[in-house]
Amino acid sequence: MALIELKNASKGYGSNGSRNEVLHDVNLSVEEGEFVVIVGYSGSGKTTLVNLIAGLEKADRGEVRFDGQPVKGPGPDRSLVFQNYSLLPWLTVTENIALAVDAVFPSWTKNEKSAHIEKYIAMVKLSHAAHKFPKELSGGMRQRVSVARALSMDARMLLLDEPLSALDALTRATLQDDISEIWQRQRKTVLWITNDPDEALLLADRVIPLLPTAPATLGESIPVNLERPRDRKAVNHDPRFKSLRNELINLLLDAKGKQRSTVSKKLLLPDILPEDLNNANNFRFLLRRTPRRRNEEKREEIELIP
Amino acid sequence: MSRFKLDGLLLPLIGVGVVLLLWQIIAGHVETRKEKDAFGDTVTKTVKSGVSPDLPSPAETWTASKPYIVAPFAKRGELDQGILAFTMLSLSLVMQGYGIALLIGTPLGFCLGLSKTFTKAMDPIIQVLRPVSPLAWFPLGLVLFSSVKIMDGGGKTAFGASDAAALFTIAICAMWPTVMNTAVGVRAVPQDYRNVAKVLKLSRMKTLWKVLVPATLPYMFTGFRLSLGIAWLVIVAVEMLTGRPGVGGFLWQEYNAGSYSRIILCILNIGVIGLVLDRLMSLVESRFKTA
Repeated sequence: MALIELKNASKGYGSNGSRNEVLHDVNLSVEEGEFVVIVGYSGSGKTTLVNLIAGLEKADRGEVRFDGQPVKGPGPDRSLVFQNYSLLPWLTVTENIALAVDAVFPSWTKNEKSAHIEKYIAMVKLSHAAHKFPKELSGGMRQRVSVARALSMDARMLLLDEPLSALDALTRATLQDDISEIWQRQRKTVLWITNDPDEALLLADRVIPLLPTAPATLGESIPVNLERPRDRKAVNHDPRFKSLRNELINLLLDAKGKQRSTVSKKLLLPDILPEDLNNANNFRFLLRRTPRRRNEEKREEIELIP
Repeated sequence: MSRFKLDGLLLPLIGVGVVLLLWQIIAGHVETRKEKDAFGDTVTKTVKSGVSPDLPSPAETWTASKPYIVAPFAKRGELDQGILAFTMLSLSLVMQGYGIALLIGTPLGFCLGLSKTFTKAMDPIIQVLRPVSPLAWFPLGLVLFSSVKIMDGGGKTAFGASDAAALFTIAICAMWPTVMNTAVGVRAVPQDYRNVAKVLKLSRMKTLWKVLVPATLPYMFTGFRLSLGIAWLVIVAVEMLTGRPGVGGFLWQEYNAGSYSRIILCILNIGVIGLVLDRLMSLVESRFKTA
């Protein structure tokens, strides 16, 4: 049985009048121990998808199941790594992780907890910075702390929402390698969301494109049968990697090309209607409201074609 | 660098000098004249003249205030003490009232920030009560606490209705900036932090103490600082109404006694203490600006 299962899940924002559906009939299943990466354009609803699985938001239609049970809210069985790290700035690295450990393992003794925390700080190679505050760390180090916090919860599933997109390319590469190495040791179920096709193919067992139709849907999944550990230098010359990358990028680009926004937008014209100055000395002219604007008179609807 | 020092020192001095000069110009001059009266005798007459004849000049103010400044902690009588002795009395009352204001205001602000329903229910009342002057609250305080009377060992009233009313007035006037800023601060806690609390499944108490309170602290301290300023404003009005010893009580007594120079001493003292309090609070505030 799949660990995570989404059936025809849809989610939209806004109230009835200007409702905008972000995800439409999303079907997804992730098996236990699988590393699945979802690739999509920014703004195509990736974060919404993660929030649905994490339980931070509720699907409008369809169902989201975790281990057979419908997801009702966030829980310690699915830990989440946020795009913007979301570390609490008034707590040190150790304290930030301790907050998670205290919440998940309340019955542990102090020594067990601190040993557990130290283990995960060492795993992300931050032992030297254990007592620093997030503001004293670089972006990459902050994201390491965030990953350590998520791992320390010993959740069955790890959700990562664009964990590396805020980092520079070189830091991103080292963190990809580090996380990939940690995963090979632990073999947890991972759902990783990204906007970088290379990152997806380097890490994943299976890549699923999130097609930027409006509303977005998931495309056919692409299995990545490259053996691990994958060396980022060697893999660049691997013909299988090249053809997978071409397939993925073409799929995403084609979908973007076909995309045609049906959103019609009301145009607000700021121009002022001319006034008849022949009447300027008229008493009524003096008492008139401010100059009339065209957008008060008439609203024009036009269709935007990208 | 030297230019900066000059500006920092010289320009304020020029400002003070100009104000002193204006004061000297509008203050009354005392003239002694020798005149012949109707009987042909020479008498000396003192006449006050000037734009504001009763306003003492800077020099007179200094002479009259000197004993209060030179011996700032002297206690010659209940209502005749050194200026800092009065200040201490006022400050202790302010601190008690301010403490009550924070104890009530902070939780109230948190409730307002957390619950939209509570905000909707309380907002009209708060908006109406907020602009009410301390002078208006004081009589209500007297009525509310008319039965309060705590005796000390000697059979004197140690804490009576007027003391309770004074604390009530300070607390209820000084509370609002704390309430408002705390509420705004709680509402401004980034959704990211709330999401962390949700994903980690923190308990309500833990969410409050580990996430909401630290994230709100900078706002709370801005509120605390504004509240302290108001508490110090209110103390003068309260002391004038009760006549209890303190800076405001002394000011009012000296007005009634006609020694106008000491009024000016009181005003300057109130201003300086207010400035010192504000600076102290902003020091504390900047320490807590971690977020």
